Amino acid sequence: MATSSTEPSSQSAPGAAGQSNEPIVLAVPKGRILKELRPLLSKAGIEPEPAFDDPSARQLTFGTNIPHFSIIRVRSFDVATFVAFGAAHLGVAGNDVLMEFDYSELYAPVDLNIGHCRLSVAEPEEMIGSDDPSRWSHIRIATKYPGVTRKHFSARGVQAECIKLNGAMELAPGMGLCRRIVDLVSTGKTLKDNGLVEIEKIADVTSRLIVNRAALKTRPTEMTPWIDRFREVANAA
Amino acid sequence: MSDRSERSLLPNGLRDGLAPEAAHESAVLERLMRHFHSYGYDRIDPPLVEFEENLLDGVGTVMGPHTFRLMDPVSQRMMGVRADITPQVARIAATRLRKQPRPLRLAYAGSVLRVRGTQLRPERQFRQAGCELIGVDSPAADAEVIELAAVALRDVGIARLSVDICLPTLVPTICDMFGLDRTQVFAALDQKDASAVAALGGEAGALLMALLRASGPAKTALEKLAKIELPEPLAIERTRLEAVVARLQKAVPDLALTVDPVEHKGFEYQQGLSFTLFARGVRGELGRGGRYSLAGKGDPATGFTVYLDTILRAAPPPAPERKVFLPTSTPDGEGARLRREGWVAVSALSEAGDDAAEARRVGCTDILRDGRIEPLKN
Repeated sequence: MATSSTEPSSQSAPGAAGQSNEPIVLAVPKGRILKELRPLLSKAGIEPEPAFDDPSARQLTFGTNIPHFSIIRVRSFDVATFVAFGAAHLGVAGNDVLMEFDYSELYAPVDLNIGHCRLSVAEPEEMIGSDDPSRWSHIRIATKYPGVTRKHFSARGVQAECIKLNGAMELAPGMGLCRRIVDLVSTGKTLKDNGLVEIEKIADVTSRLIVNRAALKTRPTEMTPWIDRFREVANAA
Repeated sequence: MSDRSERSLLPNGLRDGLAPEAAHESAVLERLMRHFHSYGYDRIDPPLVEFEENLLDGVGTVMGPHTFRLMDPVSQRMMGVRADITPQVARIAATRLRKQPRPLRLAYAGSVLRVRGTQLRPERQFRQAGCELIGVDSPAADAEVIELAAVALRDVGIARLSVDICLPTLVPTICDMFGLDRTQVFAALDQKDASAVAALGGEAGALLMALLRASGPAKTALEKLAKIELPEPLAIERTRLEAVVARLQKAVPDLALTVDPVEHKGFEYQQGLSFTLFARGVRGELGRGGRYSLAGKGDPATGFTVYLDTILRAAPPPAPERKVFLPTSTPDGEGARLRREGWVAVSALSEAGDDAAEARRVGCTDILRDGRIEPLKN
């Protein structure tokens, strides 16, 4: 991994203080969130090597302008897993992912105030009116979040049978897989296009900076400045 | 084939220990126990299974969801397989050893079984070892158990040990004093989310924020804590923390110590200064401990438990072992002599055409030829 040839940031990054030459790995999600995250990285003084900004690059690990600081790009659900297991020390993950896994080995010290959306229950438009949620005892739901879904409904005394899908949840009701879905909603356009209506919000979602518990405890002087830096950047945005 | 594969399948989270790991684990455990003993902790050995209500009493309450239950056909009472040994030691100290003079120092080791593994520790059965120091509520006692845990772990090769000290009673006390909703406060603190803590507002919010900000290496944490104006019951805990840290810095000067005054997760039943043992670069915790009180008279107690599975991941692998092969021609008494000298000596049970080949086949590194031990070439 080559160090970035882009211009070094005017701000000196916390890791540059040279406390340790042990690697620090930041895990970031691919896709939508990454676009919003990218300017924050720059403001935090992290300049990844050029391949990072090339969506067609097959590379998965990227060096940065900071020695021993690298970035890995993985699926959003995997960010939490990498950080929980200590394979990455820092990460960026939505609280939807954190709620689904509820890892005890993660801290989420900073709300980055990006990736705004909500986790909601939706059902076909034609069901609205005829459906009385207070009478439910058992429902079937297609979702990427079986853990959150089950917990949410069991708190109301409803047993939720989840069909785990990894994408295109909106198709499920139309194709007769089940009648309701739990999924992320940002503008609501995808739902509308598929004849679905949001009936209940489970949680507001934003992206958080997450940090591995053992890393924070055993390397506090390296991790804490990064947490502070991301907090400053998030608050300034 | 399918019959054999099926027979080798074990339930989730359970495993067969093979060579050389099984022997290595025993050796590490034995070393730990020797340290515990050298500080005057006497070993006790509670049973695998006990009546459920005893097992899940006091400090054991938290293990309820992790405990396998079975019905005792003899007494018709519900029993639990231990998921943690500490509650058993606490029970013994409060009952059978209640008349034993205090301080009472007890050590234990054994396997525990849990209903479910976690994603980080998929093992459902693993070994614990630990110490309990019962009957003394003083910084000297707190420091002794941390020192012992650190010294013992370092001796088994855990070089980059790090101890995180927390005061789990601090935050609940603040919540009660200021009438805050505990769930909301814990949710913010468990994430170490400074913005959410700040959002709590008021005097309590500012206090919690200052405590959160104080987390870090012990030296700076104590300096920051010293500057915070703490209400009376909290100031006492701070004084204790300072005393414990000062003692540890003298006893184990190069030990990495951190302080986290707001850590709470997993310490719900702890009643005072507690700690977690980490090693740099190792996933999860090596062990944990802290202050609690015994059921009944409420004797003060502190102690710690370490998990052998994590320790083995953090410790250096066992040194390759040398074994000498004794061909059938070996004179009587040679084997006994070598074993007395400390060799692992494997006797040939039948005449082999090529002794060296046979020695390699059975995993030996050396061979006895004409009364001399010769290393085998590959």
